[in-house]
Amino acid sequence: MKKLFTSITSILLAVMMLLGMTACGGDNGSGDGPSTDAEGNTIVKIMFHVDKSSTEGQAYQKRINAFNDAYKDKKIKAQAIFKARSAGASGYETELQNNQLEGTLADIITFDAPNTAAYANSGLLHDISNLISADEQDKFYSLNKYNGKLYGLPIQESSAGFFYNKKIFRDAGIDVSGFTAENPWTFEQFKDVCARLKNHGVTAVDMRIDATKDETAPYLLYPFIYAAGGEFVSEDGYTATGYYNSAATANGFQFIKDLISAGYTSYAIGATDFFTGKVGMYLSSGWTIPDLDNKYREQFASRDDWGLLPYPKGTEAASATGSWSYAITNNHHEDKTAALELLKWMTSAESSKAITDATGMIPARKDAVKDYAAGSPEYTLMKQLELSGKERPVTVAYPTFSTTFNQIIAGLGNGDVNQLLNAATSTLQDAMNKIKDR
Amino acid sequence: MFTTSIIILGIFLCAFGGFVVYDLATAKKHREVYRVKSSATAYLMLLPAVILAFLFILLPILYSLGYAFTDYYLLKPNDINFVFLENFAGIFKEISAKGMLYNAIKNTVTFVVGVVPLQIGIALLLALFVNRPGFGSKIFKVCFFAPVVISLSITAFLWEQILAPGEGGLLNAMLGIFGVPPHDWLRDPKTAMPCIIVLSAWQGCGYQMLIFLSGLSNIRKDLYEAAALDGANWWHKFWLVTWVGLRSTFVYILITVFIGACRILTQPMLMTGYMSHTVTLSYYMYNIGYTERWVGESSAVALLMTIFIGGITLIQRRLFREK
Repeated sequence: MKKLFTSITSILLAVMMLLGMTACGGDNGSGDGPSTDAEGNTIVKIMFHVDKSSTEGQAYQKRINAFNDAYKDKKIKAQAIFKARSAGASGYETELQNNQLEGTLADIITFDAPNTAAYANSGLLHDISNLISADEQDKFYSLNKYNGKLYGLPIQESSAGFFYNKKIFRDAGIDVSGFTAENPWTFEQFKDVCARLKNHGVTAVDMRIDATKDETAPYLLYPFIYAAGGEFVSEDGYTATGYYNSAATANGFQFIKDLISAGYTSYAIGATDFFTGKVGMYLSSGWTIPDLDNKYREQFASRDDWGLLPYPKGTEAASATGSWSYAITNNHHEDKTAALELLKWMTSAESSKAITDATGMIPARKDAVKDYAAGSPEYTLMKQLELSGKERPVTVAYPTFSTTFNQIIAGLGNGDVNQLLNAATSTLQDAMNKIKDR
Repeated sequence: MFTTSIIILGIFLCAFGGFVVYDLATAKKHREVYRVKSSATAYLMLLPAVILAFLFILLPILYSLGYAFTDYYLLKPNDINFVFLENFAGIFKEISAKGMLYNAIKNTVTFVVGVVPLQIGIALLLALFVNRPGFGSKIFKVCFFAPVVISLSITAFLWEQILAPGEGGLLNAMLGIFGVPPHDWLRDPKTAMPCIIVLSAWQGCGYQMLIFLSGLSNIRKDLYEAAALDGANWWHKFWLVTWVGLRSTFVYILITVFIGACRILTQPMLMTGYMSHTVTLSYYMYNIGYTERWVGESSAVALLMTIFIGGITLIQRRLFREK
């Protein structure tokens, strides 16, 4: 019997000691110096939000391989981690948060631009204001700034506009050739075109007001509010009252509601209705260009069959911007020299070109932009970005902003704009106050 | 967090070890040599399962319980402060202000009240239908069970197409034949939750049907013969023989369907997004905890929800217990 007790106690003690050693081991992993491999290379880890086998993932991997070749002599080696983001469950962000919790954050991460404020505020991102020269910063269309400090550099840029079916426009006798990124159409001209398309017997425009389950509707529709002279939050990102529910902001949402009320757009437009010739215009980003070039050949055999129009302007012109960015993290490696080298490499003109060649998006750097033919869809997007691009609101409570924006758009059909805005403002302000107090 | 987990695991193992030693010592005291040997072996074999259950079931529950009393913000994992009952005060404030949490509770109650009787009722009817020997009963069993094996996200997508607004939606197209104008089923607050209830009952009833079938197979056939000899009609046979025989199966199904219904998340998330007319308690918790990153508050809601579900389940068990 004694033997049995001794055995059980010994096993339990052994397990506890083993676990205790493992626990200590966990703490040892968070040293201050950079990681090195057996050959003495400084290891810099970079985490991407896409799958390795995707076209974009392969482009990143190629640039990482090129970096490793170029920095062989300097003994710096980059290691790519691919963690594809999943819809709904936000798998990539969860991974980031878990890594932060465990102290295993990569040296460089990619992140969606609207998260800049929240990530910077939480101390996740490293302040690179003094590490990137002013000249270099000027080369980018947009920067990931929070409270005046630079926290990230964009991988690529995106912009959106109204894809239109040239055949429908021709049949309806509508000429939109004068509306360019340099000379955008007005809200009234936009409504006039919609009215003529409706009279022609087609649904005028898919404004994507049904895309309220994720970031699609906020990303595509927020420029209308800026174009109407509205705002969402104060400059410091902590006040929504008086901005989100201002009269000018209400005008922006009212414009969208008017389009619904007049029957120019609706929540019932099918996802492929534009591509099958049932809708005249389709609000979308540059990622629709490859679809129109390669799919739906029956409806759009060549670029003569479709075109891209800029966002209409109200009191001012505004268009969508923002995509994913790179940032150096505040992980356990205090020496950021190697990470900075990799960041510069990945944001270089050469990398910018290579990556946007794979994704079809606009390069984040002005010196990497290709010579697009004037009037081409890519030219319109690029020019619009340059002339009227305005980023989504910079606030630590961005997820709440996105949720409330979606709720407003979903409620526009039957709801009163001011009531919807007041409810959204109250929710957003509460969220901001909570984070501020924290 | 890792170190804390290890310390908690250590304490748990000590407690478990202490219990084992106490149990064996008691057995030894009563000179139960056989029990001492077999118990010791059993405990040793149990140990890996106990450790795994602790790590993956008990530990997350303990953490969630603890977080409910903190201001844990997901982006500041190293700055967690104890706030006592502040999260719970916030919850009651949100409910009294008729905010999103109020809607979540209202919608969850609506869903539970709608789906539990509907799903169980359909499952019972299907079980009675396929339980009769005859041509096609096996095929029907497979057909009725098929939705259970399809992923919820796929069924949600399929139903989204069926309920799509405008004339393109299958349901609208069918109703259009009878002159009914198209309706936006999932955006209309009056029809969205009923649609989700019907979808969920359709998707889940096949599983309960199988459990009812196993319950039906345990009812002796001679009871029906005796009832027939006594002149019992169809209803009497069902109420006095079938229903009595299915009582314990029914209680099990009632409790599991109720708990499952209280946790509904996927359908509203995929079909409508975070809207006031379809948000549920689990979706609210997910949104607050993951999207907005307030783990403390989300854990407090989870704690209250667990207490609520546990309470109702106990009441159900008491109401339906065998006398």
